[in-house]
Amino acid sequence: MSFFLPVAHALVARKDLPIPAWLFAWAASIVLIVSFFALSAAWRKPRFEDERWRPLGAGFSGVLLSPPMQALCGALGVFLLGFSIYAGLHGTEAPDRNFALTFLFVTVWLGFPLFSVVLGDVFRPFNPWRAVGRAIGGTFAAIAGQRSAHLSYPERLGRWPAAAGLGAFVWLEVVYGVNGGVAVGLEPHAAGLAALVYSLYTLAMMAVFGVEKWCQTGEVFSVYFGMFSELGCFGIKDGRLGRRLPLSASTHWATVPGSAAVVIASIGTTSFDGAQEGALKGAIIDTFEWLAETGLSLTSSLRLADTIFMLLTFAGVGLVYLIGVRGMAGVRGAPPLKKLRTGFAHTLIPIAFAYLVAHYFSLFVFQEQAQFTYLLSDPLGTATTDLFGTASGGIDFKLLSANAIWYVQVAALVIGHVVGLTLAHDRATAYWGDYRQAARSQYWMLAVMVAFTCFGLYLLSVANS
Amino acid sequence: MKSNTVRILFAVAVAAVAIVLFVVLRDDGESAMEKSEKDAGQARSPVTTIVVKHGKPVGGIAQLTYNEGERVRFKVDSDVSEEIHVHGYDIMKDVEPGGSVSFDFPATIEGVFEAELEGRGEQILELTVNP
Repeated sequence: MSFFLPVAHALVARKDLPIPAWLFAWAASIVLIVSFFALSAAWRKPRFEDERWRPLGAGFSGVLLSPPMQALCGALGVFLLGFSIYAGLHGTEAPDRNFALTFLFVTVWLGFPLFSVVLGDVFRPFNPWRAVGRAIGGTFAAIAGQRSAHLSYPERLGRWPAAAGLGAFVWLEVVYGVNGGVAVGLEPHAAGLAALVYSLYTLAMMAVFGVEKWCQTGEVFSVYFGMFSELGCFGIKDGRLGRRLPLSASTHWATVPGSAAVVIASIGTTSFDGAQEGALKGAIIDTFEWLAETGLSLTSSLRLADTIFMLLTFAGVGLVYLIGVRGMAGVRGAPPLKKLRTGFAHTLIPIAFAYLVAHYFSLFVFQEQAQFTYLLSDPLGTATTDLFGTASGGIDFKLLSANAIWYVQVAALVIGHVVGLTLAHDRATAYWGDYRQAARSQYWMLAVMVAFTCFGLYLLSVANS
Repeated sequence: MKSNTVRILFAVAVAAVAIVLFVVLRDDGESAMEKSEKDAGQARSPVTTIVVKHGKPVGGIAQLTYNEGERVRFKVDSDVSEEIHVHGYDIMKDVEPGGSVSFDFPATIEGVFEAELEGRGEQILELTVNP
């Protein structure tokens, strides 16, 4: 009986090997060397504060942003969500054989960040809740002859609802699926039900605060994928599609309150998922046994132990960031602490993405083979359906060697580190007029980045061991 | 401004050189290591026996580690009727109460896999295949 089996691992029959010590050492050395040079080569003027947005040809906007195209994308999103809920509620309870789990937790949850980082906000047109909300709003306006009125959203709340929702989503994924002290992974039925409940909650919030407002602040998936899309090179302005300087849009992302919490939650959740089968395994088991001895049921004990360590991971990640910010505030000519706290949050987005790639790259590659073979042809796992003739297909685990996976993991962390450093340096030159003070402030941010990168490497080196 | 660009490019170049060095050096280091490990592994790997009592593995989940290319060999003695499933390799074999079943297959897929009593969902083995 495996002790921990979060949903990702209930899906795939294979786990990654821990990265070997020599690779850990090399990667950490490279990170330190790169960081050293980044410090000495600190540029003197900010380069990423301006997006340098240029419109693409009118044809692109005309086609891609046309109402029929928007309706089509929205309808596709609604269909896929509806189908996932249906498959979850009525399909097989075998997690690896049900379309819903792989589609929601792998294809969507890991696929959108990947495309968003390169292209920009690709989730927005397919967002099923936004599509439904807009359709209802439009219908209402047509019948009533006036636009629907909304409560004004409390701005102080900012993106906090999304940060909380992000934590809840991952909690459902990696903590909830427990049966009598044994992690069994989230069951498809529970996933379908959760998707249904979340849909109702989201539509209600959209009705209260307005569709676009809620997408910017509270809708977990819009905010989460949107965060990664700030690094991408296409963006929409005034109803037109245009190119922008990659990474640059992120520099203004964190001005909304709670944004730092979103990116910290993102790093925290990935860290916890990685650590619970490696670095934190012993501590979680001890806590679980201790809780079970106090008379709690096995199921509650394991959930509680997991939850405690998940929250501790969040706190740890947040603390590292806040220490860095606190340190920067001590450098002469520093802006107020509050400005620093939001001003550097976006520099963690590349780290969050690197963590995502490092922990889920192999899962994504393997599970997408299932998505497009048997899960596509036999989505409910009935073993009698074969819609596209691919039901007998399977996962080729030889597609990626352990070495290939290790290199991708380490490369992701190193590149994420470099991009994060770049953004932090750039922001520092914007905040400190004097570039020497800017460079001094970056000793702190550098320590934060090195800490996250080496922590990420450490998690990989003790994974599943 | 100009000199800064040069310095950044320099830093990037150093990073690139470091990465290339690391890949090159790493191949040397590893192949030597791998070789000695493989030599050691050439001697026929012993057959581990996993005893299943009341539907649970005696002494906890067995750990078996191989290098790629070696043969995975183990035997399961069970007191219950079960189907044994080696995940990833997708090998399934039935065992009768009081009977035993042997596994012998090449370690071709790298990674960490579990073998379980499929009906009970009880893991009996963690199989690690290193490159």
